[in-house]
Amino acid sequence: MSFKNAACAGRQHSGFANRAFFCGLCVTAAGLGLFSRSVCAADLPDVHGFVEAVYGPKFLGNERTQKDEFNVLEQRLQLKATWQPPRSAPLASWNPEVFYKGDLVVDEYDEAVRYKIREAHVSASPFAWLDMKLGRQILTWGTGDLLFINDVFPKDFVSFFIGRDDEYLKVPSDAAKASFFSPWGSLDLVLIPFFTPDTPITGDRLSFFDTTLGQLAGEEANRLLTEPAFQPKHTEIAGRISRTVGGYEIAGYAFRGFFKQAMGIKNQDARELFYPELAVYGASLRGPAPEIGGITYGEVGYSDSLEDRSGKNRLIENSSMKYLAGYERDFPNDLRVGLQYAVEQMLDFTQFKASFQSGDVPRDEFRQLMTCRITKLFWMQTLEASFFAFYSPTDDDAHLRPRLTWQMTDQWKSTVGANVFFGQHDWTEFGQLEDNDNVYVRIRYSF
Amino acid sequence: MKPVTSMLLVLLLSASVWRPHAAQAAESPSGRSVMEQTLLAYYYAGKDAREDVLMRIVNRQGQVRKRHLTMLRLDQTDGGEQSYYLYFHEPADVEGMSFLVLKHPGRDDDRWLYVPAIDLVKRIATSDKRASFAGSDFTYEDVSGRDLDEDTHELVGEEAVGEHAAFVVKSTPKRPEGVEFSYRKFWIDQATHLPLKVEHYDLQGTLYKVYETQEIQTIHGTPTITKAVMKDLGNERFTEIALQAVSHDIGLTADVFQERSLRRPPTQWVR
Repeated sequence: MSFKNAACAGRQHSGFANRAFFCGLCVTAAGLGLFSRSVCAADLPDVHGFVEAVYGPKFLGNERTQKDEFNVLEQRLQLKATWQPPRSAPLASWNPEVFYKGDLVVDEYDEAVRYKIREAHVSASPFAWLDMKLGRQILTWGTGDLLFINDVFPKDFVSFFIGRDDEYLKVPSDAAKASFFSPWGSLDLVLIPFFTPDTPITGDRLSFFDTTLGQLAGEEANRLLTEPAFQPKHTEIAGRISRTVGGYEIAGYAFRGFFKQAMGIKNQDARELFYPELAVYGASLRGPAPEIGGITYGEVGYSDSLEDRSGKNRLIENSSMKYLAGYERDFPNDLRVGLQYAVEQMLDFTQFKASFQSGDVPRDEFRQLMTCRITKLFWMQTLEASFFAFYSPTDDDAHLRPRLTWQMTDQWKSTVGANVFFGQHDWTEFGQLEDNDNVYVRIRYSF
Repeated sequence: MKPVTSMLLVLLLSASVWRPHAAQAAESPSGRSVMEQTLLAYYYAGKDAREDVLMRIVNRQGQVRKRHLTMLRLDQTDGGEQSYYLYFHEPADVEGMSFLVLKHPGRDDDRWLYVPAIDLVKRIATSDKRASFAGSDFTYEDVSGRDLDEDTHELVGEEAVGEHAAFVVKSTPKRPEGVEFSYRKFWIDQATHLPLKVEHYDLQGTLYKVYETQEIQTIHGTPTITKAVMKDLGNERFTEIALQAVSHDIGLTADVFQERSLRRPPTQWVR
């Protein structure tokens, strides 16, 4: 539900060239096709961003990973720009907008300088009832707080566990999104022609339980992850219908694509994994809690493992049902508390047990997960103390995330926090990360 | 209340045909009716409104923080349900964040926050309306209004504030829990019904917070507070607020106040 053992060192990038072409196409279309008028000073894009330094030492060191002493040490420059054509431009009535956001990172862990486009898209509203967004974009929906059922879009749990900003939990998708609006509700339709998986835990930065080795692994984990090839029939489709009735938001979701983690074994001896086909159907409800106040929400999802619908194939993840209930409320003096309870039910569990072999990771039919979030603001909301905990009573593991954020001025912000993992077993979601406990410090200047 | 309606009312009340009742009209109004007019003049001016809100938050050390946001408002009924849309331009680290608030007098508001960096539409619990608004000395209630029925309002006199003749109203919370003041004293401009000064007294009866109107402009016939300050006396800090590019009755419709506007700001009004 949150993340799974993801393991690979050699990710096979299927459509990199296609992707670059796609992004380039979007931006070029925006620049040439729509708004070819001369640009005067008033039309210059609005530019913002930040520079940030992050350092994240490990509590006790971890000899399995590439660097024993720290998880993250990097400096980052993020620039984002929004540009709208002048009102006199052709198609200006479509309210077009070009948005770009990119990160330049000096990464002293990987000893590399990286440039990543986080967002590059064109949006427009050709009709009063239609919004379009084309290009690289962040996609989010669903009701969970750091628990995802119907949000099938890619995540980066490596960033999440090593202390980067929460922003980096979401991985952008190269996609086309259309949103249709009517008085009865709205429909969002997303097409993702270029598959993007969750950022896999490879063992370089975080040690984890390598199922092909049957033990905790770090740098030596050397699995091959095969992504679906770039083909029209591999285009992922995600949809959401939603409407609000009397303060309650009701939504239905559908998705057809692939698991975002390598949940299938292609060749055990060659340690080759793949991303099996997946469909997800679900629904959610969110609104005010009657009588007691606060916000309550619930979400369900049926994950249909399309390549192993019977559950007989032990090399591919079974289908599952996922349930989530959450509650959040605020108290005087800027205190907020949020609680969630989630259950993941493996379907065809008898088949799983029947095909279980020694060395396989034991699983429960019902996996339970609880979370708790406490946030308190001090000093006129300039200091935020927050604590988030995941705890699974069935897996006997936990993940704690304490954090202090101080907004020193409008520009300067510093953050200190920790990621702590507990577990009875090496193979559970948080238990496998036990050797990766870390603290981190971030300092950021925004402009 | 629409400015036209209030002007009509004033005309009617002063017209000679109403002479027999003039004595009655000149009688002091009740504290509640003064505050009701204030609520309408301050929070419900026009059917809808658009304004740029600039805040300067200055702490004891003289350190300044700035907020710049665009606010859109649509009233369903005068004194009743309202919708607000807020879009943050500054500071830089919250640039692009937006809020949607559906205000329901008598119960908790519906409030959503949009975080563009992760494309997240978050529902926010709103039990505590006394929380600071965006880290300023103003509270959510100061920005969107406090239910009239939350307090008992007593007209305690008349006094001039500068050149303005004002009613003085003492408002005492009916339910002291969840409120940090024991009572507030309002100086209400008799001409515009807008608040000129508000004193907040804590549970010990000590004055600790003062609101002062610094500038009133009549914008297309609607008297509007365009500059004000909230001073926190105990903590020696204050927040100045300035309203710019104010316009009323611009034709906002209910469909502006939906999730769609969070993900894609209504640029026609916001930029």
